[in-house]
Amino acid sequence: MSMQQSYQNIILSPEKIGALFFLMVSISYGLYAFKIPLTLLSQQETFNARTMPFALSVIGSLLSAMIIILPPTKQEKPETFHHIFSGLDWARAWKVVTMMFIYAFIMTWLGFIIASILFLCAGFYLLGERRIKVLVLASIPLVIGIWLLMSKILGMYIAPGEIFYLMGVIK
Amino acid sequence: MWEGLFSGMMVGIQTTLVPFNMAIVLFGCFVGSFIGMLPGLGPITAVALMIPVTYSLEPSSGMVLLAGVYYGAIFGGSTCSILINAPGEAATVATAIDGYPLAQKGKPGKALAIAAYSSFSGGTIAVVLLMIAAPAMAMVAKNFQSSDYFALMVLGLTAVSAFAGKGGFLKALLMTVVGLMLATIGTDQTSGVQRFTFGSINLLDGLSFLMLAMATFAITEALMMVLKKQDSTQVFDSKNIGNISDLRVTKAEFKKIAPTVGRSSLLGFFIGALPGAGATLGSFLSYGMERNLASREDKKEFGKGSIIGLAAPETGNNAASTGSFVPLLTLGIPGSGTTAVMLGALIAYGIEPGPRMFVERPEVFWAVIMSMYLGNVFLLILNLPLIPYFARLLAVPRTVLIPSIAFFSIIGVYLITFNTFDIYMMIGISVIALLARLLNYPMAPILLGFILGGLMEDNLRRSLMIYDGSLAFLWQRPTTLAINLITVIVMASPLIQLLLERRKNRFTDADSGSTGTRG
Repeated sequence: MSMQQSYQNIILSPEKIGALFFLMVSISYGLYAFKIPLTLLSQQETFNARTMPFALSVIGSLLSAMIIILPPTKQEKPETFHHIFSGLDWARAWKVVTMMFIYAFIMTWLGFIIASILFLCAGFYLLGERRIKVLVLASIPLVIGIWLLMSKILGMYIAPGEIFYLMGVIK
Repeated sequence: MWEGLFSGMMVGIQTTLVPFNMAIVLFGCFVGSFIGMLPGLGPITAVALMIPVTYSLEPSSGMVLLAGVYYGAIFGGSTCSILINAPGEAATVATAIDGYPLAQKGKPGKALAIAAYSSFSGGTIAVVLLMIAAPAMAMVAKNFQSSDYFALMVLGLTAVSAFAGKGGFLKALLMTVVGLMLATIGTDQTSGVQRFTFGSINLLDGLSFLMLAMATFAITEALMMVLKKQDSTQVFDSKNIGNISDLRVTKAEFKKIAPTVGRSSLLGFFIGALPGAGATLGSFLSYGMERNLASREDKKEFGKGSIIGLAAPETGNNAASTGSFVPLLTLGIPGSGTTAVMLGALIAYGIEPGPRMFVERPEVFWAVIMSMYLGNVFLLILNLPLIPYFARLLAVPRTVLIPSIAFFSIIGVYLITFNTFDIYMMIGISVIALLARLLNYPMAPILLGFILGGLMEDNLRRSLMIYDGSLAFLWQRPTTLAINLITVIVMASPLIQLLLERRKNRFTDADSGSTGTRG
């Protein structure tokens, strides 16, 4: 390994990029701590609502800086972004994340039962399940079972979807 | 003391032997084994997924359920390690070293039976020790003041980081600080001032502990499975690994593992009782100890399917899991990531864990302890015959498993708050957590920091007020000073380890250099 390559590995090692991210988070957190409103009285106190956030911001920044400055932990086998991030199914993972966002969005509109069945069927399908029987049998009984358990046995109120009010099905 | 112990036991027995609570223990063990057995899912995920269920239960029943899920999941994780060499979490890695080769030799049933008997023995011996140690510790801790609590919390947080493994200390500490930062979001309990709410009413109460637990463990785990593409159905095939129903263990084998079980139970318990050490260290140290103590003949078997090598980590991790309840129940300091989630559940019930819980809520304290006896028995007599059926779970296709985990996580959070903002927040945090995990940043310290953050700030505030703004509280009280000194030692230990290693390497280099010159 050439000198330049090993230098690049140290500078761009994933843990250091991670530490850089957390350094920015710590600094932003500390700066935002200035915006915590304080009364005149609490400004005179030794410990007020800003004290802990300031201390945490300083400690977080110091720890991040130490990870950036100190040599990487796995020197004998340097890891690069390529090692860590390649060969992973990113496209499918993002689709799952998007699906979860959509599930959260439609839950209010379609209600727990319909939204959950749609989410599970879409999830099974996205991950490669194509058998209609499995899609239906693994989703509908599970959702209905949980709905019965929560609303009928444990007595929890699960609000129906807004759409039923808009359509006039529920008044 | 013995009188208190006896009356406490009676309270615990009365609470545990209520038919409903017995059913809860059984259910917890069953669900824990079920989830723990699924490849990739460990006790933290299992406990986090069950938290929404506990919200509808009494505190004692809820805690009994979570405890059952915890040791059930540890037990289930061993099955996964033995049959497919895929430990669900670090605590069962050592089990796979000899368990998997034994299963490959055509004795999966024997391997699973030895694991079950060892878990049962380790768990039961550790409960006896817990029953004696916990009240004694709670009595000592009753005299603790806020400065002692603050020092204890700092110790708990740093200890978890110190045990994070080679090179992980700083990263674990940083994650703890991130957890503490997240704990400051919301309305400050003392001054009523809003902090980091960005004007959103959804953040006024702060982040939900359940949401954070699901985001950092359950959802991240599901996303990790999607990223890694591995299909669990391709790994497990019962036909290839012999007769799984043959659970016979001979008398000679029992005799051989008995001393191992005794030693590993004691070691595991004491390791588990240390804040931050947990089941992983308990299992590895037990394995290491037994390998060192083994006869020359037995030593050769290690790594090739040794029954001692299987019994030691199994006993050690179960004893350590039980031991980790000592700091949780008596000091309110979780010994591991899983007990951190349980601490969060206790706080959600409005119970402040620590010595006061021992006095104010003895039924919760003792019910958890006494339910462990029952749980261990249930695990042995119910799970052992069910092992062949449970093993089929390892073949659950990920196409069904992953969306189901995501579904349970999302509805777990939604059905508690009925607020979709929490779900959006959970998904956002899980994406960041996923990236952090890929960069080898541990997640358990975030949760630990988040859970202890509020209590830590309160105790620091109180200590500073008592000492008129001076930091002298850190050394003026002998108890605080002693705890702080331990913290310093714990913090210095990774540095000392590093220096010793460098020194050793320097000597090795010098030796090889001189040999090379001579050659």
